[in-house]
Amino acid sequence: MIKSAVGHEQAHHWETSVAPMLVVAGVLFLVVFGFIGWFSYHSALMAIVSAGIGVPLLLAGIAKWTGEGLTHKPLVEGLSPMALSIFIVSEIFIFLSLFAAYWTMRLSAGADWPPVGTPKEFNLVLPLIMTVILVTSSLTYHVAEVKLEQNNLSGFRGWVFISILLGLLFLGCTVYEYQHLMHQKFTPSTNAYSTAFYSITGFHASHVLIGLGVFLAVLLAAMRGLTNKYLAFCAGLYWHFVDIVWFFVATQIYYW
Amino acid sequence: MSTASSGFKLSEWLFTTDHKRIGVLYLIGSVAAFAVAGIMALLIRLEQMSPGPTIVSDAYVGGDQYNVWLYFHGAAMILGFLIPGLTGFAANYLLPLMIGAKDVAFPRINALSVWLFWAGIVVALLTFVVPDKPDVMWTGYPPYSIKTGGNLALYVFTVHLIGFSSILASVNFLVTITYMRAPGIGWFQLNMFTWSCFTAFIIQLVFVPVLAAAVTLLLLDRYLGTHFYDPANGGDVLLYQNLFWFYSHPAVYVIFLPAMGIFYEIYATMAKNPIFNYKAAVYGMCGIVLISGEVWVHHLYYSGMPDWLRIGQMVTTLLISVPVGLMTISLFGTLYRGAITFNTPMYYGTAALYLLIIGGLTGIPLAITVLSVHLGETSFTHAHFHFIMGIFATFSVFAAVDFWFPKIAGRMLNEKQARLGFWFNFIGVNVTFWPLFIIGVQGMPRRYWDYSQFPPHFADYHKVATIGAFIVAIGMVLTISNWIISAIKGQRATDNPWGSRSLEWTHTATPPGPGNFPKDVVVEAGWTPYDYK
Repeated sequence: MIKSAVGHEQAHHWETSVAPMLVVAGVLFLVVFGFIGWFSYHSALMAIVSAGIGVPLLLAGIAKWTGEGLTHKPLVEGLSPMALSIFIVSEIFIFLSLFAAYWTMRLSAGADWPPVGTPKEFNLVLPLIMTVILVTSSLTYHVAEVKLEQNNLSGFRGWVFISILLGLLFLGCTVYEYQHLMHQKFTPSTNAYSTAFYSITGFHASHVLIGLGVFLAVLLAAMRGLTNKYLAFCAGLYWHFVDIVWFFVATQIYYW
Repeated sequence: MSTASSGFKLSEWLFTTDHKRIGVLYLIGSVAAFAVAGIMALLIRLEQMSPGPTIVSDAYVGGDQYNVWLYFHGAAMILGFLIPGLTGFAANYLLPLMIGAKDVAFPRINALSVWLFWAGIVVALLTFVVPDKPDVMWTGYPPYSIKTGGNLALYVFTVHLIGFSSILASVNFLVTITYMRAPGIGWFQLNMFTWSCFTAFIIQLVFVPVLAAAVTLLLLDRYLGTHFYDPANGGDVLLYQNLFWFYSHPAVYVIFLPAMGIFYEIYATMAKNPIFNYKAAVYGMCGIVLISGEVWVHHLYYSGMPDWLRIGQMVTTLLISVPVGLMTISLFGTLYRGAITFNTPMYYGTAALYLLIIGGLTGIPLAITVLSVHLGETSFTHAHFHFIMGIFATFSVFAAVDFWFPKIAGRMLNEKQARLGFWFNFIGVNVTFWPLFIIGVQGMPRRYWDYSQFPPHFADYHKVATIGAFIVAIGMVLTISNWIISAIKGQRATDNPWGSRSLEWTHTATPPGPGNFPKDVVVEAGWTPYDYK
């Protein structure tokens, strides 16, 4: 009869973590119940209560997860960059689907583009500025990674902080642009172009937000003196991916 | 036999990051979804017993009630049972053991996957609580899904949660299989089940995001007033069908591949034979991955498309039978001159071969455009995909639980009850679906609850089918109750009751404890999991 795992590191206990369940509960309340409360049942109360339960659960889950991830030793080290690259394949396909929807509408419209309701003077300088901001943030994060390689933790924190500021500036530009366009009665339901415009830029902006969340997690951990080159690398890899997607968003949505 | 942990601790199960316990959590969730979706199937069958309203309240709200059953049956069976039962339960429990790893590459992400799946089940079950029940089939086609009063958000979030769970599991297992094989295990020494999951996870990784995008756009159209699927404002209603089937046809292979993988393991072990044409079967699986992305348009044969595209899609769809044929021959060949032990897993295995052949052959007329135009929207299609996808894959989950039960529970299953359950299941599905094949050819449309405008003799066939469904229900109760009772009271199992050569039997305790293996697994040169000669 084979005896179980004697003399192993994990020998006498089952590994557990509260973090994954906290994250799922947070997402369930914040995203699912929040959305359903607001949009399906038009109940601000249900939406606010759900978000009120969801946000702390989600944040607690992420904090617990980052802490564990930076202190526990994995079975095999250094697999996360490969895993994130595989995940990015998935992300590419989700963006491709959105672009496919946009191209379908765009190409079937023929000469009637942009459709009625689109403002005559679309601001084409702002996306250029946003491109510069995002590319700069990719560069500043690269500097942060170099600092980390030199074991300069305070330099790392500083450059991550600058990257976060640039990311926030980018989102600020998006908010400004949306407000401006909404004011001109260009809303998601105006026409086919507004449909694609808000969906694709909005979806990209949500990725910027997630990237910023990851940066924040990296920064907060680094403030406690915890860091890990794989985590730092993955955060950067995701950010560069979001950056590259922006080139496609900008060229397809604004300049075509 | 001695597992390190003493006794049952709820927190150790709820917060577990161990792949084996996560696998069991997947099994519990998917069997729960299966049970509720099965009850929906019985309701659907009862309603179809007679042409007009049978069990629905009256002719006015009958369609709405029936649509909810149809929605939950489809969505829960595919998203809540088949996919999580195979790539959730079976892959989680077995893959790390089969490749000699202590766990998956990212145990916490694995726990995240299982709880996302459970959250998806919870959202799906809300169907029975909310006043505006979703009634959009599992396909959610616009414009109906956007115009209906049913709660579309529940459908979309079910897909999102379970879809995200699948994507994370794919990433996790692709990395695990690639980087965490025990020293000495090469790519062509992997178990067939490992290969089948590896290919299924590639399909999931690439195609699930497209489904996620499709339903997200549905959500935006419904709640934010965008126009993706609204032809009046420059959108395209067929765009949804394209995006949806771009994932949902390959989803059939996400289910089919691990199901085949399970039967390979059972065949090899029970016949004490190596896999016949191992490499050809592996190339077959890879071929399915390659072709799976080029066949989705055959779901749009009747939605309107140019003729040249119909022909092209017919060719690619028929082409799928080449890799499937390679895999089937290899499955069949594994029995050649074997000393076959006929126990319940092997009963299911044999039944699977029959289901595979009948389901596969009835797929050919559906792939051929001229025949498909007549048969596509009839109960012939309904019976076809229940044979090949529904029953074949369900039997694979049952066979998997029965086969690995001694390892998972540490106890033997009650073989008599398992066998009785098998016969009820097997006879029941034949009684249910053969009549549907026949009236399908005669023109019985699929999905209808009220078929009073069709020939009256259809009702007789429907009655037989309904009796069949209840026979299946008895079989399911026998099978699932057997798992529960035997897990508590069964006879203690030895480490390797079937005499398998695979790592999960030869190198682990029963049931395996934390860390899986007593000592690090290293296999000698030339080792294979099918070393029977």
